Amino acid sequence: CAGEENWVDSRTIYVGHREPPPGAEAYIPQRFPDNRIVSSKYTFWNFIPKNLFEQFRRIANFYFLIIFLVQLIIDTPTSPVTSGLPLLFVITVTAIKQGYEDWLRHKADNAINHCPVHFIQHGKLVRKQSRKLRVGDIVMVKEDEKFPCDLIFLSSSRGDGTCFVTTTSLDGESSHKTYYAVQDTKAFHNEQEIDALHATIECEQPQPDLYKFVGRINVYHDRNEPIARPLGSENLLLRGATLKNTEKIFGVAIYTGMETKMALNYQSKSQKRSAVEKSMNVFLVVYLCILVSKALINTVLKYAWQSEPFRDEPWYNQKTEPEKKRNLFLQAFTDFLAFMVLFNYIIPVSMYVTVEMQKFLGSYFIAWDEEMFDEDTGEGPLVNTSDLNEELGQIEYVFTDKTGTLTENNMEFVECCIEGHVYVPHVICNGQILHDCTGIDMIDSSPGSSGKEREELFFRALCLCHTVQVKDDDSVDGLKKNQMSRRSCIYISSSPDEVALVEGIQRLGYTYLRLKDNYMEILNRENNIEKFELLEVFSFDSVRRRMSVIVKSSTGDIFLFCKGADSSIFPRVKEGKIDQVRSRVERNAVEGLRTLCVAYKKLTAEEYSKVQKLLQSAKLALQDREKKLAEVYEKIERDFILLGATAVEDRLQEKAADTIEALQKAGIKVWVLTGDKMETAAATCYACKLFRRNTQILELTTKKIEEQSLHDVLFDLNKTVIRQNGSLTRDTFSGLSTDTQDYGLIIDGAALSLIMKPRHDGSSGNYREIFLNICRNCSAVLCCRMAPLQKAQV
Amino acid sequence: MAVNYSAKEEADGHPSGGVGVPGGGAVGGGGGGAVKTRKPDNTAFKQQRLPAWQPILTAGTVLPAFFIIGLIFIPIGIGIFVTSNNIREYEIDYTGTEPSSPCNKCLNVSWDSTPPCTCTINFTLEHSFESNVFMYYGLSNFYQNHRRYVKSRDDSQLNGDNSSLLNPSKECEPYRTNEDKPIAPCGAIANSMFNDTLKLYRIDNDTRTPIPLIKKGIAWWTDKNVKFRNPTGDGNNLTALFQGTTKPVNWPKPVYMLDPAEPDNNGFINEDFIVWMRTAALPTFRKLYRLIERKNNLQPTLQAGRYSLDIAYNYPVHSFDGRKRMILSTISWMGGKNPFLGIAYITVGSICFFLGVVLLFIHHKYGNRNTSADIPN
Repeated sequence: CAGEENWVDSRTIYVGHREPPPGAEAYIPQRFPDNRIVSSKYTFWNFIPKNLFEQFRRIANFYFLIIFLVQLIIDTPTSPVTSGLPLLFVITVTAIKQGYEDWLRHKADNAINHCPVHFIQHGKLVRKQSRKLRVGDIVMVKEDEKFPCDLIFLSSSRGDGTCFVTTTSLDGESSHKTYYAVQDTKAFHNEQEIDALHATIECEQPQPDLYKFVGRINVYHDRNEPIARPLGSENLLLRGATLKNTEKIFGVAIYTGMETKMALNYQSKSQKRSAVEKSMNVFLVVYLCILVSKALINTVLKYAWQSEPFRDEPWYNQKTEPEKKRNLFLQAFTDFLAFMVLFNYIIPVSMYVTVEMQKFLGSYFIAWDEEMFDEDTGEGPLVNTSDLNEELGQIEYVFTDKTGTLTENNMEFVECCIEGHVYVPHVICNGQILHDCTGIDMIDSSPGSSGKEREELFFRALCLCHTVQVKDDDSVDGLKKNQMSRRSCIYISSSPDEVALVEGIQRLGYTYLRLKDNYMEILNRENNIEKFELLEVFSFDSVRRRMSVIVKSSTGDIFLFCKGADSSIFPRVKEGKIDQVRSRVERNAVEGLRTLCVAYKKLTAEEYSKVQKLLQSAKLALQDREKKLAEVYEKIERDFILLGATAVEDRLQEKAADTIEALQKAGIKVWVLTGDKMETAAATCYACKLFRRNTQILELTTKKIEEQSLHDVLFDLNKTVIRQNGSLTRDTFSGLSTDTQDYGLIIDGAALSLIMKPRHDGSSGNYREIFLNICRNCSAVLCCRMAPLQKAQV
Repeated sequence: MAVNYSAKEEADGHPSGGVGVPGGGAVGGGGGGAVKTRKPDNTAFKQQRLPAWQPILTAGTVLPAFFIIGLIFIPIGIGIFVTSNNIREYEIDYTGTEPSSPCNKCLNVSWDSTPPCTCTINFTLEHSFESNVFMYYGLSNFYQNHRRYVKSRDDSQLNGDNSSLLNPSKECEPYRTNEDKPIAPCGAIANSMFNDTLKLYRIDNDTRTPIPLIKKGIAWWTDKNVKFRNPTGDGNNLTALFQGTTKPVNWPKPVYMLDPAEPDNNGFINEDFIVWMRTAALPTFRKLYRLIERKNNLQPTLQAGRYSLDIAYNYPVHSFDGRKRMILSTISWMGGKNPFLGIAYITVGSICFFLGVVLLFIHHKYGNRNTSADIPN
């Protein structure tokens, strides 16, 4: 057990504050903070010193303070009031503003910390203030409530132990995500049962990554050995997220207050400085140097001038006694300071006040702007910080995601292709979708008998290989309601692709009914219900870009169905009509459709048990669980038999093209980052006018790099771009307006990783520079086939 | 313990003002709950539609501006320059550094030489001075603007404050007390008051006729009546009022003996004293000494001819390389002789006019081609 040696790296929580039975591993009890959220910076008594300290950390304020102090100490030509008063004014105004903002934060904190939370104490439901929540408390959250802290999901009112959550306020994704209760506890549905739970949880110390969590729960039944279960991020309900479509859930608090992932994320934000402020600071330093040298020169000149005694002390202007006795060097230093004070106006105090006020007002004007007001949501723009206003006009690059930003993220199943035969579930006519009642529109000739078999398998695979949930309640809005189905039911999924697929399949005659007690029920074309036992789900992740399910059919056969991006499926396929499917996939991609491939594999019982063992060991690991799981997945997901491909249309967002055009007109360069195929992405870009007809496309792709060396390609591109640039400047110089040629760069993930990969000979820095240079000269850059990690690198 | 440590560090290292969202950090999604329904007011101020005017500099507006400035400034400059040139000014340096000068004998004079060293300088006015003539004394290389010097006075003492009279300000050091008695008036400025006596004679057929010099009306009215006042007390006897004080070290006589004949020009309100107390900004300066008023309309104030200046030479300037001058000058509506202002006006006007011509030429030759490039969309 890893708990003993790395206890500092993990924490142990007694669910419901019950001590583990004696004889269990002894843990050193840790102290956890309470659930109070503190976002305010100051308290009542530390406001003045702390605020002053913060304010004097600004170079300008500190400088004026120094000048003021110098004026107080030495015999100065100007009165200390002249610099003290403006400084006092600036400091006071800023302090009042910050104090007011902090007071608002205090109020917000209090509202959060005092909001009532239901939790269970001795088998009864108790209401308490949120801030009194402790680690280990069992909390009940109702629908549409926010989670008060990070919880381990114990059980929900839904029978299958799942719940839906939106994390809009955390990562901006508005889709519903599914979370899973701990297997052993999901049967507990009321307070008494939950209270009887006797378990400890080991988990890692708080860390800000929202999507990472590893832990382990030990459940004690009577006197038996504890049952250990793995906990992952699918069991962790984050503070700030909202519970949806689930009546209530029970969870145990593991991270509270400032240790929740949300709080950790907010704190790690660093202060952003605008370019103006940065350059202002540079100028400040420059002027400071000028001032010092000026004072120095003046001091030297003063002593040179008064070296003759009749100038230093003429008969009409005698020195006083103390002046005569004063040390020469001390006197010179005082003179130097006096000159500093005399010339200190070279750095104006008023400039800072003016800039500050102007920014403050500017932020209000942004908030007041009527044209930014959204009628649909009834919200105007919200100004988070007034420090960066002026930066808004200086944006040069916009990085955009394709899915959900350029497009509506509202998928429509368009067609599927099985073994090279294309099926279209409906035809689009005059913008109306006419559903094909007879079922399938055959484009190719009818497949043979073996094809028929494959076809059915394909549909079943699509029906089974997903994480879609069925919700019978049709009162919930905001979700796509399926009007086609005979029972009114709604599919909910974290990915709209999957919903589109399941709905499309439904139109082809196979209806996914529900998941009940680990059995997936499918209504097939003959209206018979087929049952499949769901054995394992390898959930989708963006590195593998595929997901798999292992199911056991009613006849006892075990199938592994896999669905994923073509690039991740094709290399793993052993047999099937790869070429036909591939050509179809590529054709679809050019049309801007999102494509997915489906494959399957039959497992024997022995194989399955082996797989199960592997998985179990990987899932229980506390450390590197992700890595181990990925390894296991890698081992299992291979030697597929290709079934076919699907195509899903993702419609462009309304006015996306106009927006991009306007952005380009304003000289802002748009980078699109996407995980889609190159052809798909390029088609989308043409559709939304990111690339225009006159745009010259430069391609930096794996294919091209295979032909030439990376070095040559980069240099070629660089030359093209720079030549264009050179002629451009000449053109503008001669005053002739030319139809300037835009460059669009397409780069794919593999090429990018080649560029970014550090080389042993140290030339990588060079490549990077060239690449950057190319990118800077292109008006649009499209990066496709990118893993999210690469997106972050870019 | 690691938990608490890291949490504390995070809390202390809170970003300094970067997250300026009231409640943004804490509430997270909490703020999103309250849906704002208020639409921004459609007012001219909030929508930034207040009338505004911004000068757009084009050739059409700039060129006339240059010509107008040129055409206005050049005549003004010429007028001022002519006026300045019409002012008569005559200046004599009587320091006596040259061995040939009559005042050379007095060069190393000291403050308390009695009787004072006197010298006479003869000079000839080529042109007659028509209107009222102002007589100045001028000093060079005399730093009345030295910080130590400027501060060395007690204004409340000069304003007649009795307590300050006996207890002058510390700023007056080292001219504050002498032999345990407070100095009145204290300070370096008063101590170094100009004390040469200048007398002007007209030489007409070898007879010297003194020219009447008026010593009143040379100080500012506010200085004479507001800023400077004699101490108050019983009676008007200044000697009694200045009881308990002593004269400045360099003065030959106390302040109440400056002009015993005229009580309203004696003590602190002596106009020569007031004029001296208004310190000059530059090391070379002139101060009004006397007025010569025009007698009648038929004769000029000072006819062209020979004159002589009698100097009671008391003021030592040789030790600091200084110079002493006597200046006779008339004035006009724009003050004393000042050719610079007229020259400046003429220069600026000419440059503007010249630039206007150059720009007009450029505009005429190249202007049409760039019109589209002026305003980038």
